[in-house]
Amino acid sequence: MKAKVHVNKSYVHSEDVVAREIEGELIIVPLVSGIGDAEDELFTLNETGRAIWEKLDGKKTLKKVIEELSEGFEAPAGQIEKDVAGLVEELLKRKMLIESPSP
Amino acid sequence: MNPQVPRSTCLGRKGEGLFLSGTVLLELLKAVLEKGVPFRFQAKGFSMSPFIRDGDVVTVSPSFDGTPHLGDVVAVIQPETGRLIIHRVVRGKGSSYVTRGDNIAKEDGLVSVEDILGFVTKVERKGERVVVGFGPERILIAILSRCGLLTPLLLPMRKLSSIF
Repeated sequence: MKAKVHVNKSYVHSEDVVAREIEGELIIVPLVSGIGDAEDELFTLNETGRAIWEKLDGKKTLKKVIEELSEGFEAPAGQIEKDVAGLVEELLKRKMLIESPSP
Repeated sequence: MNPQVPRSTCLGRKGEGLFLSGTVLLELLKAVLEKGVPFRFQAKGFSMSPFIRDGDVVTVSPSFDGTPHLGDVVAVIQPETGRLIIHRVVRGKGSSYVTRGDNIAKEDGLVSVEDILGFVTKVERKGERVVVGFGPERILIAILSRCGLLTPLLLPMRKLSSIF
């Protein structure tokens, strides 16, 4: 099932994940039923994914995140928007990200 | 035990079947335990055989009261090497402890309570829970281990288990 992603909303890392930068790589461990289970699934993010992840602070809207990323990456805005939406959708689906409550 | 973790395909395009290095596993274990939740991963090595075997899946839980007891199996950072090991507490000396692998001929040396990251609370082998070695008998195992009697006692059992 596809999670709905809105550019005017803010998203924040779920409490049910542990993310740690180790040896230059961001590794994310989902906490499933209160356990960090390396036998289940571990995730890493590539450079773009990591840049997106770090900007998802629950305060900035996705629109703002895309704007900021456009300044840092030499890529068409449309491509960045697609990457952000795709990753956010995937993270929402896996409950690694939650929609931030409206202020 | 030198624990290792299989790394799955992920959002960042990692291939399946990769294994994390000891350093990566140590950092992940610390990060998860700091959150106050257990961490489950595959152990690698033979130092705790036969109670924890190569490939068994262990669950390490945070040390809430911070006090290890004789016979507890703990995840500890070896002070000399900085490596993560999973060994049994065989004696206490004040606020320090001596650990030893059940299948190792010598003790690891003193570790402080701060070096102990957590306790092994569950061991699984081929999907089944391993109970022997983690109940009240753990105290006897620790005493035998520190007296150097555990390895000779386990040797005939190993031979028998290889026959059957």
